[in-house]
Amino acid sequence: MSIQEKTASSGFELTRRDWGYLGHFRAMASPCELLMATEDEHLAREMMNVATCEAMRIEQKFSRFIEGNPLWKINHAAGTPSLIDNETASLLQFARQCHQLSDGRFDISAGPLMKLWRFDGSKIPDLADIERARALVNFSKVIFDEHQVQFPDGMSLDFGGIAKEYGVDRVAYLLAEKWSAISVLVNFGGDIACPVSKGAGNAPWQVGIENPQRLDSAAALLEIRQGALATSGDTRRFIEKNGQRFGHIIDPRTGYPVVKAPRSVTVLAPNSVTAGMLATMAMLEGEQAEIFLSEQEVEFKCFR
Amino acid sequence: MQLKNRSNISKALAIASCSLLGHSAQASANTEKPDDWKVDAAIMYYGEEDRVQAVEAIGNVQKAFGDESLLDMKLVVDSLTGASASGAVAQSETQTFTRPSGNGQYETASGETPLDDTFQDTRVQASANWAETLSPVWKTNVGVNGSKEFDYFSLGLNGGVERSFNKDNTTLALSGAYTFDSIDPVGGRPVAFSSMALRADYDTEEEYRTAFDMTRMAGSEDKKTMDMMLSVTQVLSRRWLFQANYGLSSVSGYMTDPYKILSQVNDTGTTQSYLYENRPDSRLKHSFYMMTKGALDAGVIDFSYRYTTDDWDLNSHTLETHYRYYFSGRFYGQVHLRYYQQQAANFYRPFLMAGEPLPEYASADYRIGDMTTYTLGLKFGQRLSGGHEMSYRLEYYQQNPENSGFDLVGQLQDHDLFPEVKAIIAQVSYSF
Amino acid sequence: MNRTIISIAIAVSLSACSSLGVEPWEKDQLARADMALDSEKLDLALDDHIYFSKEGSSGGRSLAGGGCGCN
Repeated sequence: MSIQEKTASSGFELTRRDWGYLGHFRAMASPCELLMATEDEHLAREMMNVATCEAMRIEQKFSRFIEGNPLWKINHAAGTPSLIDNETASLLQFARQCHQLSDGRFDISAGPLMKLWRFDGSKIPDLADIERARALVNFSKVIFDEHQVQFPDGMSLDFGGIAKEYGVDRVAYLLAEKWSAISVLVNFGGDIACPVSKGAGNAPWQVGIENPQRLDSAAALLEIRQGALATSGDTRRFIEKNGQRFGHIIDPRTGYPVVKAPRSVTVLAPNSVTAGMLATMAMLEGEQAEIFLSEQEVEFKCFR
Repeated sequence: MQLKNRSNISKALAIASCSLLGHSAQASANTEKPDDWKVDAAIMYYGEEDRVQAVEAIGNVQKAFGDESLLDMKLVVDSLTGASASGAVAQSETQTFTRPSGNGQYETASGETPLDDTFQDTRVQASANWAETLSPVWKTNVGVNGSKEFDYFSLGLNGGVERSFNKDNTTLALSGAYTFDSIDPVGGRPVAFSSMALRADYDTEEEYRTAFDMTRMAGSEDKKTMDMMLSVTQVLSRRWLFQANYGLSSVSGYMTDPYKILSQVNDTGTTQSYLYENRPDSRLKHSFYMMTKGALDAGVIDFSYRYTTDDWDLNSHTLETHYRYYFSGRFYGQVHLRYYQQQAANFYRPFLMAGEPLPEYASADYRIGDMTTYTLGLKFGQRLSGGHEMSYRLEYYQQNPENSGFDLVGQLQDHDLFPEVKAIIAQVSYSF
Repeated sequence: MNRTIISIAIAVSLSACSSLGVEPWEKDQLARADMALDSEKLDLALDDHIYFSKEGSSGGRSLAGGGCGCN
């Protein structure tokens, strides 16, 4: 088997822009883009191949919706240990650290709870159902090491909260490692990373942040030369009841969506995984979101 | 509900993310490469019941240079002691044989298979191989190897090229090797079919020595081998892959075993003399090999079949399988089964008849006669932290030589001319 | 006869190759370290050496090799 990734047969579109090439494809249920500062079309194609391959690989492995994939096997182990590889172990380790740093509010075993809150305009779940689901949410019951993972029957893991940002960082890393002099902006549905600087002499990448009140038109323009950006928000997924809007970030400790969470939070950080986690944690802070982010000394923008 | 250590959270996250992304940089690579070095070491004991015993130690080091180059170096040291069958047949009387050096002799009791226990040798072998990825579809490799033991020296060069197709699902490889061997046997190379000089047949030491020297030729002998292999590897599905190889090997030079003899017997099966064997000076071999390997949820399984044929008319079939089962993420057990069957080389004969004209070539070495062998092995492995692994295996190897259709005359019928050889193999390995 | 059958089998499997296979992102199982063809290279090398010394034929999985005064 070859060391390098090979040509993907999944489709992508490539269009020429004056600053380089824009590549577009669909993965992880999001529109994915690559902005590549290069004149070389062949190179842009190679980059797109690397990106689509890696995005699909991660999706195939960690998607909740693919029956029989590694995540599905882990979630159907019924309490017995499952063999895992280094990558899965690292993600579990990261999830554990986030669980600790957020005092238990970020919990990837919250799958059963997430399933209850469907945010498709339907009603709020029953208290009894919520209590039942909450009993199955407890990351501290997930035992793992470098080689295997085990948790009680009935619990399930969901990497949805980190997989997309992880994918962005992985693709960004692979591209930067191979083409260290070419600035590429990776954008998977709003989670953005740009590890190779656009260079002081060039115009920075310009990223529009949605205004939750007026969707699909940029309210703020962020200029970014290097770094990562993630947005967490309820702009498109919410339930409205009695004039109260329930955002889609669920607090596993209560079983209910976080109260008084901002409509959207955008955070700037060195990589997408950090930015995404900070944005999620800010949402979990509810009212205190802005205070939390100022204390973290990161650039951010909140919409309420 | 406050988040604790508030200002440290972003820093802690940044560190955690580095560990996640740095570590997972190796996530999709085949080999783990902390510091780019990978070391495998093993020590093995091979012991035949009442016969040869050997200890072999191997150290293998791999270093990756970026994503495209790999250096592989190996050092092997092995040491052999004990006795192996000389090719002479068992007799109802005690037999005396002269040692290969001419200095001294050894005896075989009545009814026993004659075993020459002269051999105590240590061999050192070193090899280095460089593999280079030239492009997304082309790979190449080149290597050199050499080995030395007391009476033997070998030097070889090998090279190969690989081309992958079909999104890397199909790989075609062509490789070749050239090896030069030089043998300088203890006591000098024996003259083919000369009769072993026995001290008891001569009055004085000098006369014996002269006779012995007449059966020897000074100087070393060479052997040159040219090998070629064509290989196809094909991904069958997400879990199964398949490989088929065709190998061609052409050997020319000295292939006689200088330490092996044949008994020349009369009508009653009684030995009249011992003749040093003689094998052809060329051999053209073909091999056909197929294997399939499957990734199971909690294990790995593989099956392989090999057929070989050559111009010595020695054909063989080999069936082999390994089945590994992971008891946990850290511990596995593995079963190994191998079945081998070979047909005698056309110049193989268990003994010669006195009075009949000598054939052009003859050897009584049971290793090129009709034979069936069985191997049954068990291995256990433990995966330790940091990517280290330790394993131990125990195997039982039995060789069953068979009579390929020779009439056993006279007293030869009273003896087992094709005794089984039973061996134990024990090995411990460590890799990191 | 045997030789003809085997070389035909190889040729057929080669031509069928173009339709077999998986996408690059489906190679997770095959990328396992224990699925590499040389995953137990020391065991294989030691075995090859034993069988090369004790039997009349060698090679198949890799180049026949030599470098030993055994056979």
